[in-house]
Amino acid sequence: MARTFLRRTALVFLLFPLAASAEDDSWLTRSGYYRISYKSELQPIEINRIHSWVVHVESPAGEPLLGAEISVAGGMPLHNHGLPTDPKMTTEIGSGDYLLEGVRFHMNGYWELLVTIDVGGKRDTVIVPLNL
Amino acid sequence: MTSIISKKLGALIAIVALLAGGWWLYGPRSPSTWTEADLAILQSLSIDNLPSLPPDPSNAVADSETAARFGHRLFFDTRLSVNGSVSCATCHQPERRFTDGLPKGRGIGLSGRNSRSIVGTAYSPWLYWDGRRDSQWAQALSPLEDPAEHGGNRMQFVRLIGDDPAYRHFYELLFGPLPDFNDRRRFPDAAAPVADPTLREAWQKMTVADQHSVNIAYANIGKAIAAYERLILPGPTRFDAYVRAVLSGNQTTAEGILSNEEILGLQLFIEEARCTECHNGPLFTNNEFHNTGVLSFPGDLPDRGRIDGVRLVRDDPFNCLGEYSDDPDRNCPELTYVRTGIELIAATRTPSLRNLGETAPYSHKGQHETLASVLDLYNRAPLAMIGHNEVEKPLGLSRRELKWLEAFLDSLDAPLATEPEWLTAPVD
Repeated sequence: MARTFLRRTALVFLLFPLAASAEDDSWLTRSGYYRISYKSELQPIEINRIHSWVVHVESPAGEPLLGAEISVAGGMPLHNHGLPTDPKMTTEIGSGDYLLEGVRFHMNGYWELLVTIDVGGKRDTVIVPLNL
Repeated sequence: MTSIISKKLGALIAIVALLAGGWWLYGPRSPSTWTEADLAILQSLSIDNLPSLPPDPSNAVADSETAARFGHRLFFDTRLSVNGSVSCATCHQPERRFTDGLPKGRGIGLSGRNSRSIVGTAYSPWLYWDGRRDSQWAQALSPLEDPAEHGGNRMQFVRLIGDDPAYRHFYELLFGPLPDFNDRRRFPDAAAPVADPTLREAWQKMTVADQHSVNIAYANIGKAIAAYERLILPGPTRFDAYVRAVLSGNQTTAEGILSNEEILGLQLFIEEARCTECHNGPLFTNNEFHNTGVLSFPGDLPDRGRIDGVRLVRDDPFNCLGEYSDDPDRNCPELTYVRTGIELIAATRTPSLRNLGETAPYSHKGQHETLASVLDLYNRAPLAMIGHNEVEKPLGLSRRELKWLEAFLDSLDAPLATEPEWLTAPVD
C-alpha cells in the first residue's frame, strides 16, 4: 500500500509540470493565446458517470472570448488508452462559457485532456491534467 | 579442528538461511492495515455504495410492477421461439445467476458468444459483450429473432400476445389496445427485417405503417421483459460485510468475516494486480470495453468486439435515439457521445465480478473454464491476436499470490437481492 502511495505521489509530481502551466485551476494554451478553466457538473468528479462541463475561455488578460470552437480528446497516458466517450461542445452559453457534454471517465488515476480552442481561425491547444 | 567447526557452522548458517527464506516465501502472512486511500477504495466497491436504480426514460413501463409480472411470464415462455423450445431462461438460468454454464449460449443453435448474466444490467449503459444494444429492452428483443437463439420473428411474437388472453390483458393494461393483426394479407404468418430471405421478403411486402405498428408492439414486449430484468439485482456478499465492519472500526468482527488469504487477495486486487482499473464501483465493472488479449475461441476468428458493437448500436432502430424510445427528449448522452477508434478492436465489456462462483466459464466465448485460468492470462499479458492488449505489463504474481486473489474473488458470491418469487417460472 505504501508502495502505491509513493508511486502515485511520484506520478503527480512528475507529470504536473509537463502538463500545463496551471494558475488557480486555469490553464494557458501552448502558444499563449487563451486561458481556459472548467467547472464540472459533478462535484467531485466520479468515475463511470456521464456528465457535462462548462468550459470558460478568455484572453490571457482575462477578457471572456465569444465564438470559440472547442474540441476535446485525451486519455490516460500511462495506460495508453483514450477517453471512453467522445465529448462535444454543444452550446455557447455566453460570457466566454461553453457547454461540453458527454464527459465520462472509467478509471481512477491520472488523465490528460487535450483541449483545442479556435477563435476566428486562431487555434491553440492545452493539456489539462486531471487526477481521479 | 577449526575447519570442521567452521564447516559445521557454515552448514548451520546455510540451513537457517534456507529455513528463513522458506518461511519468508511460504510462511503464513498477515495482511497489513488499510490506509485512508485504501478505505476509500473499499467503500467504493461495497454494495452499500450501489446507487438506486437509474431511471430508463426510454421505457415508460420500466418501473411498473404490472409490466414486471408480464415480463416475468414472457421471460420463461418457450412459445417465444420458432419451435417452442427456447425461452430467455434457457440461457439465463436463475439458479446459475442468470447464465448457462456453457462457453457459448445454446438455443435453437449455437450462439456466437458466452451468455452474460443479467444481474445488475439495469446499471449498464451498454448490453452484450460488444455493447451492441443500449438498453435492457432493446437487448431483450435481439435474441428473439436470432436464428441461433430463439429463432422466431416479430410477427409471430406480436400475434402470440394477441392470441393469449392473459398476455393481451397485460399488454392492453400497460400499452393500450393491441392492433388487430388478423388480416393475413396485411400481416403474414411470419415476417421480420432479418437475414432470412423468406422472412425479409414477407416483411418488405408490408406497408411502412403496418411495419411500424408491429414494431411498436414488438418493442413493448422488450419493455415488459426489461421491467422484469430490472428486478434482478446482486445481494450483499461476505466482502460487503467485511467492508462494513472495517469502516465501522470493528477490526475483530472484520477478521472473522474474511480469512487472511482473502484479505491478502483483496489487498492485491486493489493494489499490485491493478484489478480496480476496470473492475471498479460496487458492481466491480466500469461497463467499458477493453482488449485484454483473450485468445480466440478454438476454430473461431478473433472476435472484433466493440469496434463492431459501436456500429451495430448506432444502427439499431430500437436504440435510445430511435422512434421506439419513450423519452420525448431523446436524452441519450451515452449513445450521442459514443466513441469509436482502433483501441476498440477486440475490446469487450468488463464483466461484473460478483457471483463468479456460479457463472463459469469466463470471457466472451467462455475461453476460460476457471478463475485460475483468467488470472493466468493477466499474469502473462500475451500479445493480442488483433488490436492491442491494454494489459501491457504482466502482473508477475507468484502462485501463492494468485491463490489469494482467487480466494478473494470467491468471497464475492451471494444470493441475489431479488425476491424468490421472481427467480422461478411464474405460477398461474
